Amino acid sequence: MENNNSNEILDDYIDKEYEFGFVTDIEMEVAPKGLSEETIHYISAKKEEPEWLKEWRLKAYQSFLKQPEPHWQNFELPNVDFQAISYYAAPKSGAKYKSLDEVDPALLETFEKLGIPLSEQKLLAGVAVDAVFDSVSVATTFKETLKEQGIIFCSISEAVKEHPELVKKYLGSVVPYSDNLYASLNAAVFSDGSFVYIPKGVRCPMELSTYFRINTQNTGQFERTLIIADEGSYVSYLEGCTAPKRDENQLHAAVVELIALENAEIKYSTVQNWYPGDKDGKGGIYNFVTKRGVCKGANAKISWTQVETGSAITWKYPSVILQGDNSSGEFYSVAVTRNKQVADTGTKMFHIGKNTRSRIISKGISAGEGQNTYRGLVQVGTRAENARNFTQCDSLLIGDRCGAHTFPYIESKNNTAMIEHEATTSKIGEDQLFYLNQRGIETEKAVALIVNGYAREVLNQLPMEFAVEAQKLLSISLEGSVG
Amino acid sequence: MIITTSLYDQLSALYADKETAANEGFSRLRAAAFDSFSANGFPTAKNEEWRFTPVAPFLKEAYHFQPAADAVSDGGMADLSALDAYEVVLNNGAPGKLPSIPGVKISALRDVLNSPAPQAYLGQSISLSQSSFAALNTALFSDGLLIEVEKNTVVDKPVLITHAYNAAWPFFAQPRLLVVAHRSSKLEFIERYVVDGQQALFVNSVTECFVAENARVDQYNLQVTPPNFHLVNFTQVSQRADSLYNNHTYTLPGASLVRNNLHLDLQASNTESHLYGLYLAGGRQLVDNHTLVNHANPHCFSNELYKGVLADAARAVFNGKIMVQLDAQKTNAFQQNNNMLLSDKAVVDSKPQLEIFADDVKCSHGSTLGSFDESSLFYLKARGIGESSARNMLVKAFAFDVTRQMPLAAVRDCVEALITEKMESLYEPA
Repeated sequence: MENNNSNEILDDYIDKEYEFGFVTDIEMEVAPKGLSEETIHYISAKKEEPEWLKEWRLKAYQSFLKQPEPHWQNFELPNVDFQAISYYAAPKSGAKYKSLDEVDPALLETFEKLGIPLSEQKLLAGVAVDAVFDSVSVATTFKETLKEQGIIFCSISEAVKEHPELVKKYLGSVVPYSDNLYASLNAAVFSDGSFVYIPKGVRCPMELSTYFRINTQNTGQFERTLIIADEGSYVSYLEGCTAPKRDENQLHAAVVELIALENAEIKYSTVQNWYPGDKDGKGGIYNFVTKRGVCKGANAKISWTQVETGSAITWKYPSVILQGDNSSGEFYSVAVTRNKQVADTGTKMFHIGKNTRSRIISKGISAGEGQNTYRGLVQVGTRAENARNFTQCDSLLIGDRCGAHTFPYIESKNNTAMIEHEATTSKIGEDQLFYLNQRGIETEKAVALIVNGYAREVLNQLPMEFAVEAQKLLSISLEGSVG
Repeated sequence: MIITTSLYDQLSALYADKETAANEGFSRLRAAAFDSFSANGFPTAKNEEWRFTPVAPFLKEAYHFQPAADAVSDGGMADLSALDAYEVVLNNGAPGKLPSIPGVKISALRDVLNSPAPQAYLGQSISLSQSSFAALNTALFSDGLLIEVEKNTVVDKPVLITHAYNAAWPFFAQPRLLVVAHRSSKLEFIERYVVDGQQALFVNSVTECFVAENARVDQYNLQVTPPNFHLVNFTQVSQRADSLYNNHTYTLPGASLVRNNLHLDLQASNTESHLYGLYLAGGRQLVDNHTLVNHANPHCFSNELYKGVLADAARAVFNGKIMVQLDAQKTNAFQQNNNMLLSDKAVVDSKPQLEIFADDVKCSHGSTLGSFDESSLFYLKARGIGESSARNMLVKAFAFDVTRQMPLAAVRDCVEALITEKMESLYEPA
């Protein structure tokens, strides 16, 4: 009896259209398509960058040219024509607003549709938003409040101009320009992104947040984020994305670098809901991101939390280099794939210092023809006495054509290390559904309940403001999914 | 990239010689295998399956393909005199006197290459492009053993196969085993190694095992060998409906290089398979276990338990892969790998891997890595047990968890005695 019903619900769910697909009509200034040294000169000139940064970009470009396309990933790499992408797009109406009144109303409307009423941000519960509309920062709020404490929160191009010593010291120090193909591309052509510096001993009074949004057809977005937490400081950073519906694939190759000095803590949360393509896998964003943090000093802590529901292909491994003694790294992830979505995600924990700890919780949910891969590395070096790792990666399968894969690498060179890894794969238990049905909870709600419980451990890690959005996203993408 | 050692050239020459002399029904298979080997060469660290296991350093010896000496077998290190079994000795890869077993055809492979069983089964299930060493063996093996159990035959005693090696110079051997258990038959067989002399030995062996409907095969592999021994072992198992296959692989300190590939292909539904492994490594040993369980059909059960104890500067690699194909609903597949590091120079690389394409399955894997549990040690010491006895006790408890899975008491006792003995030389309390 349930079966027919379940199939209907399942079909509904699988067919579900992307809810946030729309295009904002704003005049854009777009660079000509193509990638060459001239492109880099063009970007660098447009952004009025210093010579050292241009040199760095050019070196990255050379490195990009030398690297072959990777082939180890657990999906077929789509053919990305790097020459067909325009590497610079800026809203023409100018980039430097002093107040929100100057902002193009159409743009504000975009944020309105996304549920981020920028104009109301100041009144909201202490969230400062550095909204990146395509490539140029348009409005930064709460800057003054942050300034009082000495916190720098601005776009990276602004930081290059105003705090060159910090940018020069840390840019590329965690993800070098030669790290991988997409990181090199990003280093060569990155257009903008966020820059955060928390001074010694300061606890950032509010959650910092950026909403990314891809607009303009064929503009790959190459964001670069750099967060530095000086000794004894604390910051929580939120990143979230929704993208308009497009038929053409768009490449998103971002780089995020986190640096936590002694006793500092950085919490980085992501809710990712880029356009995933239609039910035949047409269109959708390629989300190829390099995220890495380093616990440079003793007792530092970096925590990554991600909720990945969008993108045709999500490919990223937020990692932590545990260099300082007693430092710790965390990775919490929920990845949902449906239709023909692919997620190849996980983390790398490099234990270098003594008494370092890491914790990895990964929850994959596959539905339709979605493929979900967890790929992780836990590496313990010879000097990392008493390193401790716990890894749990679970997969939930909904429907008989999806897949769940795990590729954990555990490499230990130290016998004082304690490493645990466990993984399970299953579908939603009939007995659990029956139990809930029997108590008068309909199947659809029961599934939502079970899935929410399944992902709870990760969702709990999100800051309040985000948890609401994440839960909404999960329930939208999973309502009616019946195992 | 191909490692062009002199060995590679030698092998090419050997194949050219052999090809002209070939007079058997396998020339096409051998040619395909050799093409595959020459295209891929010996695996390098760039090959994901060999990332942690560099073979090049072990291939540098000036190997010969003829032993130029007779192997002497006097039981070797694994003493199985308590075991009542049919015995076969392979002297440097060539079978000696063969026992007569009711219902079982047991022959030297070179004598029966043109008979039905090898024609039907040999080389049929190995993916040559995936395994260079198996391709090399397929192209160039000259002898080995065929064990064919007729249908409805329960072999009353286990078959003990002793691989005896002794060579006058560095020797590269490529033995081949073909085991066919027909419908509703039952076979237990044990492989062990006896190595004499000091010359470097490189054994590239391939075993193919076909378990037909409702048949049962238990395979034991005891790898107790000296440091001049190098082993690359490839076992391909094909299981038909309602069959049961058990594998017990034990690697003890000695051989400088041991690489076991164990591939299970579950070709029909309702099969059951158990894979047990224990590696105890010391010195500068490199022990690598790669297993692949391919669930291609519904209602199959597989269970895997591999444990390792590492001392000195030993390195261990474990790569367990479970594939659950689209149609393999109702699959139960479990895998566990536990490692215990006794020294601060020992290295473990563990990669338990699941690839699942069906939804109605129960699959899990677990992997742990650590040293002695301090609270257990404290518990024992608080009861007046000395440090080293306490540690020995803990290691044994850890290892015997695997050995107790062996139904053959004589083999189990032999392995447990060996572990106890090796433990004493491995672990020197600080």
